[in-house]
Amino acid sequence: METRLRILLLSVVLAALPGCATVRHWFHRDHPATPDTTQAEDENAAPPRVVDPEVSRRKIVVPKIRSRNIEVGLDYGVLSIEDFGTHPSYGLTAAYHITEDFFFQAEVGRARAGNTSFETLSGISLLTDSERRFTYYDLSLGYNFLPGEAFIGRGHALTSAFYLIGGIGGTDFAGDTKFTVNFGAGYRVVPTDWLAVHITVQDRVFQTDLFGTSKLTNNIEARIGTTVFF
Amino acid sequence: MLRRAHQFALAGLLLLAALLTPAVSAAREYLQLFVTEPYLELHTGPGRGYPVFHVVPRDGSVDVLFRRTDWFKVRTEQGVEGWASQNDMQKAVLADGTPFKFDLGDRAGFTDHRYEMGIFAGQYGGATLVSGYMSFSFNSQLALEGSVGQFLGKFSNGEIGDIGFAHVFAPESRWSPFVTLGLGLVHTEPKATLVAAPDRTEQSAYVGGGVRFYLTRRFFLRAEYKAHYIFTKRNENEDADEWKLGFAFFF
Repeated sequence: METRLRILLLSVVLAALPGCATVRHWFHRDHPATPDTTQAEDENAAPPRVVDPEVSRRKIVVPKIRSRNIEVGLDYGVLSIEDFGTHPSYGLTAAYHITEDFFFQAEVGRARAGNTSFETLSGISLLTDSERRFTYYDLSLGYNFLPGEAFIGRGHALTSAFYLIGGIGGTDFAGDTKFTVNFGAGYRVVPTDWLAVHITVQDRVFQTDLFGTSKLTNNIEARIGTTVFF
Repeated sequence: MLRRAHQFALAGLLLLAALLTPAVSAAREYLQLFVTEPYLELHTGPGRGYPVFHVVPRDGSVDVLFRRTDWFKVRTEQGVEGWASQNDMQKAVLADGTPFKFDLGDRAGFTDHRYEMGIFAGQYGGATLVSGYMSFSFNSQLALEGSVGQFLGKFSNGEIGDIGFAHVFAPESRWSPFVTLGLGLVHTEPKATLVAAPDRTEQSAYVGGGVRFYLTRRFFLRAEYKAHYIFTKRNENEDADEWKLGFAFFF
């Protein structure tokens, strides 16, 4: 009886053992059973490596190419305000070069108007102090009309361009803001990659009725400026 | 007045100094490209008319210093610096042999680009309008746009500023229509000579549409209409029509 029971228990244990051996795979169904490789390696008996190669693939980081199409600068010149004399002016310009031919330019500038000949003779002042401030702002399109090179001696060549410019904007003068059309031409010399020197002559035309009758006034400005490309 | 001029000049000088700093500080890493064509021509300036003064033979390399419009300033292994055109640079390869790819600014760019900028002339509620706009594209069809403008009329002057969305239909076609929707602010300065009315700033909303027409390179024309609804503090709200035609470019 006892031996029978022992045989029964033993057979149960024998049956249970291979089942239990699979337990570790029960909860890791996703992972395929890794074959025991130690034996296989011994059998193949690969020769020991003399040099352990450490090859890592080189990653090429492409540095970003900087674009230098924006030009910002200051300028100084003289502005002839129709009927009010010629006076010093100063301004700021910012340009964006779209192609080698065209650029967009924004300009802001200011000058102070003097007296008209009537005011000088009669001693009567037509405008207040703040009304004499002549402020212009424009958005213009420029065209590099005659690109070329300027030479200094034998060893230096500077790229240069003669350009035409025209656009629209506003002018604050005599207590009013007027729609203004501008057009002009300039010469740009670029001594280094980041610096440029400009000479520009620009006319700003607007309609005014300051003296009773409506008339078109021309306000010509000549200025020299330095700009930085970045 | 003189003090303001001084402040203006000082601010300008500070701006220039700030701008000059990055130009002076050098020592950066440049992109190296290899020539696969028989040779790469280097011009003396960034333009088609500037003469070729140097060539880089096949398998030679150049460092790309920077780009100006469609030209690249490059430096050879011998230290010669010159300008290479966009078309020639397209045929150069990177160190691992892959082709050098960059934004070309052509018709494909018109369909799919990141930024747009432009200037307009037109009419706003009967007054002459000058305005500029800038847009940021999320994809080839949807863009966020901002525009500022100044209107100069017989009875009042003022400024408008808008921000809104634009949806472009058929961005791949040369004529591509679009619709816009957004909000804005209007600042109106009635002319003092007429009635002594105070300046006012009001909120507005607009709905509009237009069409853009691809010209060449990076340029396109843009014609636009916006119907503005101005929310006033008075009993009735106002309407203002804005018509404008402009010239724009993408980058």
